[in-house]
Amino acid sequence: MAYRAEPPDGGWGWMVVLSAFFQSALVFGVLRSFGVFFVEFVAAFEEPAARVSWIASIGIAVQQFGSPVGSVLSTKFGPRPVVMTGGILAALGMLLASFATSLTHLYLSIGLLSGSGWALTFTPTLACLSRYFSRRRSLATGLALTGVGLSSFAFAPLFQWLLNHYAWRGALLLVSALSLHLVACGALLRPLSLAEDPVVGGPGAQITSLLCHGPFLRYTIAITLINTGYFIPYVHLVAHLRDLGWDPLPAAFLLSVAAISDLVGRVASGWLGDAVPGPVARLLMLWTTLTGVILALYPVAEVPTGLVALTVAYGFTSGALTPVAFSVLPELVGTGKIYCGLGLVQMVESIGGLLGAPLSGYLRDVTGNYTASFVVAGAFLLAGSGVLITLPHFFCFSAPTSKPQDLVTEALDTKVPLPEEGLGED
Amino acid sequence: MRALQGLRGPRAPSLPLLLLCFLAAVRRSLEDGLSTAAPFTSLPVQEEMMTEYSNLSLESHNLSVTERPNMPAEKNITLERPSNVELTCQFTPSGNLNAVNVTWKKGDKLLEDNYLVNATGSILYTQYRVAVINSKQMGSYSCFFGEKKQQRGTFNLKVPEINGKNKPLITYVGDTVVLICKCQDCLPLNWTWYSGNGSVQVPIGVPVNDKYVISGKHANETRLKITQLSEDDQGTYWCHAIFELGESEGHVELVVLSYLVPLKAFCAIAAEVVLLVAIILLFEMYTQKKKKPSDDGKEIEQGEQLKLDDSNGIENSGPRHRKNESVGQ
Repeated sequence: MAYRAEPPDGGWGWMVVLSAFFQSALVFGVLRSFGVFFVEFVAAFEEPAARVSWIASIGIAVQQFGSPVGSVLSTKFGPRPVVMTGGILAALGMLLASFATSLTHLYLSIGLLSGSGWALTFTPTLACLSRYFSRRRSLATGLALTGVGLSSFAFAPLFQWLLNHYAWRGALLLVSALSLHLVACGALLRPLSLAEDPVVGGPGAQITSLLCHGPFLRYTIAITLINTGYFIPYVHLVAHLRDLGWDPLPAAFLLSVAAISDLVGRVASGWLGDAVPGPVARLLMLWTTLTGVILALYPVAEVPTGLVALTVAYGFTSGALTPVAFSVLPELVGTGKIYCGLGLVQMVESIGGLLGAPLSGYLRDVTGNYTASFVVAGAFLLAGSGVLITLPHFFCFSAPTSKPQDLVTEALDTKVPLPEEGLGED
Repeated sequence: MRALQGLRGPRAPSLPLLLLCFLAAVRRSLEDGLSTAAPFTSLPVQEEMMTEYSNLSLESHNLSVTERPNMPAEKNITLERPSNVELTCQFTPSGNLNAVNVTWKKGDKLLEDNYLVNATGSILYTQYRVAVINSKQMGSYSCFFGEKKQQRGTFNLKVPEINGKNKPLITYVGDTVVLICKCQDCLPLNWTWYSGNGSVQVPIGVPVNDKYVISGKHANETRLKITQLSEDDQGTYWCHAIFELGESEGHVELVVLSYLVPLKAFCAIAAEVVLLVAIILLFEMYTQKKKKPSDDGKEIEQGEQLKLDDSNGIENSGPRHRKNESVGQ
């Protein structure tokens, strides 16, 4: 059995980037655009919007908590069969949902079944991607994650068109067919044997060793803190703008502008992460601190120009921190343990993500505006970046890492913002 | 009959009538806003009508008629309940005020009475009063200024509009659907539903059965629930709202699809995915077969190769390949 000493950094790796691109599009693009279905569900089942939005929440929660399962299975069997199974599960969930007669059916089929399918696809793919690249890891991750942003643009109008022509049952059937492409993406993930693989052992041993690994734990805490604050602007920006007196259309347009700068930030940061020598954790700290500061400045800006500038900057910096967040992990734990590491990080950081938006909503209800929410979000981000300073080799400027194997799980990406309908008009 | 500036009724008005007219004039001059600066005194016919229907509400509407013909003055008035309606047109003629001929028409029919004309400064006012009690009084009322080149202002009296749905409603065979018609702030006396095939409208729900259920949560909406949909139920459904002053209708279009329609699309896409997966795996087997005909002399099955091998790039297999070849030879 021939093991590679070095990740290929190219070649078939670019096909893996393509596969990861489509996968992040099909998992998170679908989740983010699901809001168009919610209006139909509210009318069809005559349930309030808050109960309908639980569908997406359950799906996200299952996807994130189920990530370790995907990791463990990928360590044992390789990513390909796991991702292909995940794709079939995700499509099956949507297929069964098209026959739903009550909201509970949708919770189980889309939330539980499709969510498990997504859990088995996303984490293994990103981990596999980080194994294929070392020098260009951040760039590859950044490019792959642009799939999320671009698909949100494409899928929302597509889903609306499907709803207009097939009603929600037929539309769900066709989204299921769309999700089947995850199987094709999984087929692209050729197994890769790296030199560390026999050394790190089976999944159980890996998880135990990870849980005792100091830097890994500190990193997980940092990512969880970052995650808590990360999504708040996505969820509450439009409501905050409406509070300030903006019309719905310019507010939504501003969100699209943020999404575009998010895309640019991802690719730029990915390139930068590879170009700058030294631990990628420093770049992560830089972007996180900037994002935290921008969030804290939000309440101060009242003028439209200031808000637009802040939103563009927020989009850029928050997009920038995603690829480097994924790149830090391989540097910490090595590519051998990457599957399990990624799964564990995703599971823990999801707690932050699930808490963040409701906490922000609660603060808003208590204080009456979003000032406290944004400041608290910024504080969480700054706290996370503070914890990052404690990572090894942070201040070491002379030791270049030969294998920058930081796979920062795109926890931020996996945290799909809760749809606006769910949080309602605050 | 026109009355210019003041009352020109019977030569010897009786005292109560005069008093009534005086009171009416005072009341109107107090009520009127800036638009009708000149108080109109009322004709006896009008006063009688007013007292007869004095329990009805009064609606006043004004229009400003200009000499620009390409901007016709028009106003749409929505009436739901019987009420007294006061329509006022004001016009600024270029020439002599007194030379302008003022007429009122309902539709095409010339109206003889119930209107007044007054002139204040350089503006000519004319007012028409009508008690709208049933659908016969609804329609278009127009005021005309001038003989040859007539300037016109139109008031359209209509019942409230009903909103159905603009986009067709898509459903599937065997489903249940609820068609909703509603109007903004109106309270119709009754609602009825018809299904339309072409221009013929067939009433629904006349024999009360399980298939059609007409209900409504509030007075301003009506719901038609149709169960056990079949493709024959496709088409346009009309909801009629009956008011005292007439009828108004809205429509909803229903499309019933068979489940096969999206299913065919699903199967097509699923077949495409299977094809993609087959292409990817076959390509991989082909490149591996080409690159490593034998691996250290051992015969490894293609399936095993896919799992164990890490050939994933043309440039990577360089050094190892050469080693194998040298060994193999």
